[in-house]
Amino acid sequence: MTDEPQRNLDDAAITAEGVTKRFALKGSNEGVLALQELSVKVATGEFVALLGPSGCGKSTLLRLIASLDQPTIGTVMMRGERPAALAARHAFGVAFQDHALLPWLTVHDNIALPFKLSGRRPDDEAIHDLINLVGLDEFVTAHPRQLSGGMRQRVSIARALILDPEVLLLDEPFGALDAVTRRQMNIELQRIWLRDQITTVLVTHSVDEALFLADRVLVLSARPGRIILEVTVPFERPRNPSVMRSEEFHHLADELSLALEPPEG
Amino acid sequence: MKADTTWEGRALLGAVGLGVFFGLWQIIGYYELAGLSWPSLSSVIDMLIDPNRRPLFGRAISATLRSTGAGYLLGASLGLFLACATHLLPLLRRGGDRLAAVLNSVPSIALAPIFLLLLNRDATPAAVASIHVFFIVYVSVTSGLTSASAAHQDLFTVLGASRVARFWRLEMLAALPALVSGLRLSWPAALIGAIIGEWFGAPRGLGILIINAMQNFQIVLLWCAVFLAVITSLTFYGLITVLERTIYRRFR
Repeated sequence: MTDEPQRNLDDAAITAEGVTKRFALKGSNEGVLALQELSVKVATGEFVALLGPSGCGKSTLLRLIASLDQPTIGTVMMRGERPAALAARHAFGVAFQDHALLPWLTVHDNIALPFKLSGRRPDDEAIHDLINLVGLDEFVTAHPRQLSGGMRQRVSIARALILDPEVLLLDEPFGALDAVTRRQMNIELQRIWLRDQITTVLVTHSVDEALFLADRVLVLSARPGRIILEVTVPFERPRNPSVMRSEEFHHLADELSLALEPPEG
Repeated sequence: MKADTTWEGRALLGAVGLGVFFGLWQIIGYYELAGLSWPSLSSVIDMLIDPNRRPLFGRAISATLRSTGAGYLLGASLGLFLACATHLLPLLRRGGDRLAAVLNSVPSIALAPIFLLLLNRDATPAAVASIHVFFIVYVSVTSGLTSASAAHQDLFTVLGASRVARFWRLEMLAALPALVSGLRLSWPAALIGAIIGEWFGAPRGLGILIINAMQNFQIVLLWCAVFLAVITSLTFYGLITVLERTIYRRFR
């Protein structure tokens, strides 16, 4: 079991309270209910994974935290600030399934982009450190189209980390990768994350990924999304990939998979 | 062998096509199969390379190129400017679209006399050309400015990008391919505009050459003028196609 002190959720980095999100839908009065009365707290420095079947609203929850959308009812606050305020002071790091690299910029310039958008001078040393951390030293001047899918995601993760964000948001960042690359990226992401232990929310549909990376895994039900299971991951960090073969890992994975399965009938 | 899949195959097919085209032109003209108004290719080429005619053609081409170029630059700048303005101030969007549509639906042949009254004879060709270019560039840039992907837009939002940064670092660059496509398509339109404008009394130019030759029944000269207009159009079109390929490779 973890010997870490119990995280203090009273001083949460992210607090979602009674969040309901309804999307308007043509020809339907009530629209689509994506999230229903959902409450979540994420502690400072905690890595939380949101797990759920596709269409369960886990990406919607992440978009609410990221200031890309507003809840219909309820609030999302971050230490008394609204998400948009955090975005405005450039405190988010973000990586999507679509790497969203700018095709006309080199690897270096893509990672430097958050500096430019925050009006700061790019810190070349920090950029090169990160490029080195994600193992792309030879590709500093390459353009995204010259990189493999895994390399693009590494650039995208480096870009998410370059400003030392207060909150890191990852939406299926490895969803488009093959299983082998994905596992490598998980190992790499843990190594990178351990450097600064930034408050992180990861959306994924992979049970293994969630268990390997997160401190806590929240399972969302099919639409409307509600939290149906919460699992605190006991493995100590740094986690060796061999932890994925341990009995406890399998046990937890089974428990999560069971919760993910749709009810019979 | 599939001739149209390789570079050499396509070049060969193109050469054969051109050969057949020019061959038929020569045969029809030489045997007067289509009457007197269809001259042979060789007689057109003879006149084109005739040193005595060179000053005439040179003056006509340079006059038309000058007004086409001026109209092209003016129209493209206005189109680009208005497209950016309507993009940044959505309030203007509807008005901008309507203005462009109205300008485009008025036949330039009807606009030319108005320009003739408003401006002077020399400026009319450029003015008509600029109207043609304005519409094409406006339409392509307005659509180009919205072509940045949703993921890119989301990224800029989460990273707290200002409106100005979003415009210059994302939307404008994403619009570049559409802009060069618009520039490519609008060059022939600019040339047509300039030639039509010249018909309303410009002192010289390819349009004047065409109309004079027609009125004096100088058939070969008429064909020379048309031939020159086509070459002028295709040359620049080809040049900007090269630029377009480079931009497409880089910005898409």
